[in-house]
Amino acid sequence: MTEELDIREILKCVRCGTCRSVCPVFRELGWESTSARGRLMVAGHLLDGGLPDEAALASLRSCTTCAICREICPAEVDSPRLIEGARRELSSRGLLSEAQLKLKTRIQATGNSLGEARDRLAWMTEKEVPDRAEAVYFAGCLNSYRYPQVAAKTLSIIKPLGVTVLKNERCCGSPLLRTGIAPDTIDHNLEQIRATGAETVITGCAGCYTTLKKDYPPEFEVLSLSEFLEEHISDLKLEPLDITVTYHDPCHMGRHNRIFDPPRRVIEAICNLEEMKGNREEARCCGGGGGVRSGYPDLSLRMARRRLEDLPSNVETIVTTCPLCVKNLSDAGGKAIDLIDLVAQALPEHARGSGSSPGH
Amino acid sequence: MMTLIDDLRRLVGDRATDSSSERLCYSRDASQVRGLPDCVVRPLNAIEVSEIVRLAGRLGVPVTPRGAGTGLAGGAVPVSGGILLDLSGMDRILELDLDDLQVQIEPGVIPERLNWALKEHGFFFPPDPGSSAMCTIGGMIANNASGMRCVKYGTTREHVLDLEVVMADGRVIHTGSRMLKSSAGYDLTRLMVGSEGTLGIITAARLKITPLPRARRLIAASFSTAEAGARAVIEAFSAGIVPSACEILDRTTLSVLSRCNPNLALPKEWDLILFEVDGTEQSTAEEAEKIVSACSSAIAVRIASGKEEMEEIWAARRLVGAAVSRLDSTLSRVYLGEDVGVPISQIPALIARVERIAEEAGIPAMKYGHIGDGNLHAALFIDITDEDRWRALERAADRIHLAALDLGGTVSAEHGIGLARARYMERQWGEGLDLMRSIKRALDPQGILNPGKLGL
Repeated sequence: MTEELDIREILKCVRCGTCRSVCPVFRELGWESTSARGRLMVAGHLLDGGLPDEAALASLRSCTTCAICREICPAEVDSPRLIEGARRELSSRGLLSEAQLKLKTRIQATGNSLGEARDRLAWMTEKEVPDRAEAVYFAGCLNSYRYPQVAAKTLSIIKPLGVTVLKNERCCGSPLLRTGIAPDTIDHNLEQIRATGAETVITGCAGCYTTLKKDYPPEFEVLSLSEFLEEHISDLKLEPLDITVTYHDPCHMGRHNRIFDPPRRVIEAICNLEEMKGNREEARCCGGGGGVRSGYPDLSLRMARRRLEDLPSNVETIVTTCPLCVKNLSDAGGKAIDLIDLVAQALPEHARGSGSSPGH
Repeated sequence: MMTLIDDLRRLVGDRATDSSSERLCYSRDASQVRGLPDCVVRPLNAIEVSEIVRLAGRLGVPVTPRGAGTGLAGGAVPVSGGILLDLSGMDRILELDLDDLQVQIEPGVIPERLNWALKEHGFFFPPDPGSSAMCTIGGMIANNASGMRCVKYGTTREHVLDLEVVMADGRVIHTGSRMLKSSAGYDLTRLMVGSEGTLGIITAARLKITPLPRARRLIAASFSTAEAGARAVIEAFSAGIVPSACEILDRTTLSVLSRCNPNLALPKEWDLILFEVDGTEQSTAEEAEKIVSACSSAIAVRIASGKEEMEEIWAARRLVGAAVSRLDSTLSRVYLGEDVGVPISQIPALIARVERIAEEAGIPAMKYGHIGDGNLHAALFIDITDEDRWRALERAADRIHLAALDLGGTVSAEHGIGLARARYMERQWGEGLDLMRSIKRALDPQGILNPGKLGL
């Protein structure tokens, strides 16, 4: 049994049901097994050696690990951690879903979660990067393959600030870790990072950020792109834009890592920011995380549509700091962009490089 | 052969299940009572509920209604198996009739959501249990739930005008009307309120709503004894004040709270009474002054009128439930003996008895509650993996219930009887319980509706 699945921690849940008021999956499905309280009962049963049936598997797999339940739990039960523990238990019993198996095979074969055989660095418009630097940009699978413009803009903006990239980056491990599978790409990435001599790793992906920060050995500082941009905001010479945007807190930037202010400060240095109905600690999940987008695409999209209902009236553009949130909110019909897209629009004319054309 | 689940699926499709883990998730509420249902069904309207109840009648299978499963006495736990009816999906607000001061809702509506909808119109639904963010109004009606502000506005019962109820034979009846008052026959509405699903299944409710007050003020008064605090409460009422909340936090509670939050804005050395008054700026200012006069024996009195200052104090009050497990992760709060009530004047005597009982059991106890209506919450904390501690706690809870009855009180003031407190019904009601049994037999001769509850 995995150490994270601790019976004492599960027993801390007094089944008060407070999680029912916030769980975005429960909001869509309504069965008790899809609330945090229900999931903990299912996990407890698993811990007792119980055999999971279909509903138990769905209960444990449909959690986005968004942690909004942990935020308001009166007993401070860390449900996302326990659910990941239960997923590891399922995985150790060989109980992997089709989506999980596919993901695992893809990452083993190609080093990325999308199964792309193409060159991971094809997005690079800056062909010359130093071998060694103070900081390294970890692009992540989604930005490398699905949002190459975002990766390119990011690098062109932060390269002058002493940043390089990994020659041979692989999946950070997040998609497997969140669904309970041990990834085998971490050591490879570690070697790559060490080879650059960088003391700081910068990433613009919430999943990569939380994984680099919490699942990698603490050999280097991990910064989200928004923190790095905020630190260097005066170097960027941004020009104000006369627009109003809103900001969606990715769960793994906000609640999991408390990065609430840096993206907002960067946005406010550029244009007006109007908050969504649920924001910061109370931001509702876009529905994409925890393996839910790949495992339960319809459910994931329903949650994204629900999140779009939180938009302030008369504001269209949703700025966020996670490619998975961009993807899920866009698929649901939202106009979601990455923070770097906004920054690129605000750069002085001469500083807009080849990677900084608007849109993707 | 058709099985129960096949029959249910024929009625509601995939909103019925007999999955073992789903059944497990519906086998408990927030109490220690357990019971596995055979099937779980999530109906969407009264017709479906009626068909399910008729089916249950034909097969002689128990039906247990459930709202959000936040109950503290096992009321929604299917202790005899059978069909678990999860009504939380029936969550539409059917009608806002502001001119007639009422709304009609389905039973799964969450009170906080109703209050969001009413707020913009300047109204509210006053009963405010601690679980307002997640419980259902159907469950509140079935348990006659209440909360802090019921001292002024009355419990759930005072706000129900009419119920649509599916009876044990499948008939759908109404217990009232749109009238704010009526003098026509038995009060079936009040019979249903607090019946915990033993007489019928509530499928819609018409509720009276109340204009929102424009101002509030909070008075925090510390007393050297709980007795002195209770006297002040009685004096405040005698001075013609009906506070919108009137809470007591004993010194044990306050010292635990101050360990959780070193910046706690409340003195922790004494027993504390919190009075809230609501109304207009002028009326609350006057009433606050009168309360300060009623608190002449207090060691310290403070009036708070700023929103933030009041919120800070109420936030401390809300932390009470979970406070101890935050300090010591091996301790869990167990909800047993947690909801007794006595006449206001007997609160100090009850606090003294609870203190002695807890001390003798070697269990830390925080005493707090709604002193304005005589409702004391005793919070007992143990290591729930230790069986000896469990037994000690059960003995202590039993003694607390008996102490409340001895002081002329009730074993449950707002949480309900369910199974957890069923064994005290005979003692609390005597012959009255026989009458309840007669009513139950008349309305549910087969005994299919939530069997095992209320000590019937």
